[in-house]
Amino acid sequence: MTDEPVPSPSTQERLADLTDDERLVLAKVADIVRKIQYGTVVLVIQDGKVVQIEMAEKFRLR
Amino acid sequence: MVDRAESAVALAGEREATPPKLSLRGLIKTRRSTSGEMLTAVDNVTFDVHQGEFVCLLGPSGCGKTTILNILAGLDEPTSGKALLDGRTISGPGPDRAVLFQEPALFPWLSVVANVEFALKHVGVAPGERRERAMGWLENVHLTGYANAQPHELSAGMRQRVALARALACDPDVLLGDEPFGALDAQARELLQNEVQRVWVESEGRKTFVFVTHNVREAALLADRVLVMTAAPGKLLEEQRIYAPRPRNLDDALVSRVVSEVHEVLMREVGKGGTT
Repeated sequence: MTDEPVPSPSTQERLADLTDDERLVLAKVADIVRKIQYGTVVLVIQDGKVVQIEMAEKFRLR
Repeated sequence: MVDRAESAVALAGEREATPPKLSLRGLIKTRRSTSGEMLTAVDNVTFDVHQGEFVCLLGPSGCGKTTILNILAGLDEPTSGKALLDGRTISGPGPDRAVLFQEPALFPWLSVVANVEFALKHVGVAPGERRERAMGWLENVHLTGYANAQPHELSAGMRQRVALARALACDPDVLLGDEPFGALDAQARELLQNEVQRVWVESEGRKTFVFVTHNVREAALLADRVLVMTAAPGKLLEEQRIYAPRPRNLDDALVSRVVSEVHEVLMREVGKGGTT
């Protein structure tokens, strides 16, 4: 994440346009991305809203 | 609104902060084959299971997963390494660990309710309380109407439900399952899987379940953690930690994804000499 380029002006505009609910979802996804090395994140959407975030984390043991 | 995965992650963190319920440390099990050759069934396996976790052990046939379960049950001993329950060496079977086998192993001469009552007698439940508790568990597995039937009058799925009721009636801390649904048809298997999910959820973190299976879908459906083993000699290969609410369905996107990943890993192992 640290090596990512600075968002372009258009990306910054889109980020500024996000609703509070959308920011909350992105923040939670970012928390998961920071926490796990390998895995899957699934967003469950109903009526246009994210109602659940599920994840699976994978570890190689040998 | 979107807190459920977060709370599952937090709960897993809390569990890991407590001492493990079951613990294997450098477990090795060797056996002598019929030709006299020494075979390693389990090769240096170390893992912990915390109270309230649901762990599935998955691996090719002959990888030692049943051996591990038998050692946890106290039915077998390690050649070296340690198997611990609440920090103490496991020295034999006990009522704190119930085991569900592939075959329900009911007493054929006892009625359904008497089979459950027998287990309650074994753990010291007073005679006056046994019938009510046994009937309560039969109700939980939807078999009230068959309380006085003999095991041979039931279908395979119903017999396994009796075995589940009998195992849980004694209120064990740990439920160990050795391919408990392996011999059932698809519908009976699904019913039992739902039943087990429900019982585990209702125990609210008190009960620890460890199931051995070679059914990848079953593992992804039921477990918090899926431990995948190598072909013999069995070592731990990969772990999947699944943070998704229950009851789960096989159609759930995350379950499907985990099934696909674990299946791929398992097929590579089978290609190295194991069989499913």
